[in-house]
Amino acid sequence: MYDYEWDRLKTWLDQYGAIEEHVTSPHEITRLDLSSHALKNLPDNFGLLTKLSVLNLANNKLTTLPASMKNLSVLSNLDIRRNLFEALPDFLGSTSLRSLNASGNKISDIAVLLTCKELRVLDMSANVLKELGAVFEVKNELRTLNMSNNFLKDISHLLPVLGNVQRLNLNTNLIGELPDTVSGLVSLEEIEITDNNLQTVDEAFFALNVKKVNFTANKLTSLHLHGLSSLEALTLDENPLEEFAMSDDFAPCLKELSCESCGLQEFLLPPSKILENLCYSSNKISEIPSEIGLCTKLIQLDIDENKITELPESLANLLNLNTLYILGNPLNEHAKKVISILDPEICDLNMKSGITIENAKEEDLKEMAGLLGILFAIESDFEIDFDKQYAGLKQLYEADGSDLLVAKHENQVVGMLTMQRLISSAEGSFIGQLEDLVVREDYRVMGVGSRLINKMRALAYEYGYKRIQLAADVNNDNALKFYTRRGLKRTHLSIYHFHL
Amino acid sequence: MKNKEQILEMEICECGQKSVAQAIDIFQNTAQPFKKAKKLVSECNKSCCRGALLKVYDMNVFGKFDYEEIAYVIEQRLERIRRLGEED
Repeated sequence: MYDYEWDRLKTWLDQYGAIEEHVTSPHEITRLDLSSHALKNLPDNFGLLTKLSVLNLANNKLTTLPASMKNLSVLSNLDIRRNLFEALPDFLGSTSLRSLNASGNKISDIAVLLTCKELRVLDMSANVLKELGAVFEVKNELRTLNMSNNFLKDISHLLPVLGNVQRLNLNTNLIGELPDTVSGLVSLEEIEITDNNLQTVDEAFFALNVKKVNFTANKLTSLHLHGLSSLEALTLDENPLEEFAMSDDFAPCLKELSCESCGLQEFLLPPSKILENLCYSSNKISEIPSEIGLCTKLIQLDIDENKITELPESLANLLNLNTLYILGNPLNEHAKKVISILDPEICDLNMKSGITIENAKEEDLKEMAGLLGILFAIESDFEIDFDKQYAGLKQLYEADGSDLLVAKHENQVVGMLTMQRLISSAEGSFIGQLEDLVVREDYRVMGVGSRLINKMRALAYEYGYKRIQLAADVNNDNALKFYTRRGLKRTHLSIYHFHL
Repeated sequence: MKNKEQILEMEICECGQKSVAQAIDIFQNTAQPFKKAKKLVSECNKSCCRGALLKVYDMNVFGKFDYEEIAYVIEQRLERIRRLGEED
């Protein structure tokens, strides 16, 4: 039987390419993507889609949704971010909503959430929420809550009903206090309250089992760290900490602590025996305690921009320390000697500035051919032959669809990477074949290779290539790790050669 | 809606008086982690532009820039400042 309403709705959906041609009934539609169409409203009969479970309406100009949507009883995932809503739609309570993204609207009224009992993930960031009363039922299923970029001042009534919440984001609000009701966050694993006016943190906070805490850019002047037995990462950057103390029972599982730009004069060493990353940069610290030698798991230490002249010799015992940021300190000769013994893989004292990444010029080709010798010395499949390498680079330089990048320092080529355009039948389009990535030994561990890859990848995007790929010597462990860390995935293919 | 060139000209950091294009250029020419790279742009320790700069930094690492997203984040911050000013 002809269904006029369905036909009307199908025509409307068709014009946005939202459904496949073969769809014959509204009950066949379970997922719809209607994002980024500048929609100002939806058809009144949208509620015909009673089997819809996932609906994406992001990046439109919607202010309301049709009342018929109360029939979408199985709707579990709704995305209405970046629209013009001033209140959450009333029908939400009639659905099975488990995930709602309403960020980037102008919402100040979220009363309907009281009726959304199955909600697990809620993003209300970048709205105009000022006060939160009884927003959620005491018994609710909320696990992840993002209320960042609103205008919240008082969260004391919100916290007690967040007993199941594991991740809580309250960044960029106007919160001045973490009140005693924080004790209600019994399932909390991560909390972020950056860029607020936080001046006090209630004692109850230190009894939580939270693993990750970020209090960056607040107004904390006094903090006595203790308890927090499950804490793994704490960031306190940009707080004017006049009084700062740590008890012996503080965070035995702590792996990361950052206190950048806190005006600290004293370097406090956390009691954790598994600390991996410690940052006290941009403070007024003049002395590093010799006990730092006990932090044998430390991988990265950042003490840039302080008043440190001397370093304890025990620092050289930190065998796992591979990154040391220590620029901007009036180090004496003894301190420099300690650093040279420690010999970290990355140290900003050894970093060279002014390395540029640019397109190769014809006059760079000889230096580039020389650099290839370094690469071919590692790769057993190839022989070093300057003339051949120069000839190859020259052809590449002159060929269409080729890109040659060089890293330069003080007018010398210190690194290079090439890319050739190929046609892939698998992708049905062009792809980029990367080759010849090499960095001069004295310029390694300075990010030159990463910058070359990033720049080439940006070019590949610009050209519309569908993929970039490269071959690497299976015996070159450093190269294999390098590529993997930069998101390139190893394939199951091997390369075969037949010389002609 | 702004085009790519207009977005590249938008001021992303008031302290360092840097445009989006300048911030991208600085990030492309450093291998420093975000905290350090951000200071190269802002020339200060403040956090006002951190959100927008972090987006641009991540896009640079990823290798593709979403200019509309950058403009949105900058405008969102300006809108917030305007609202806070109205309330004072």
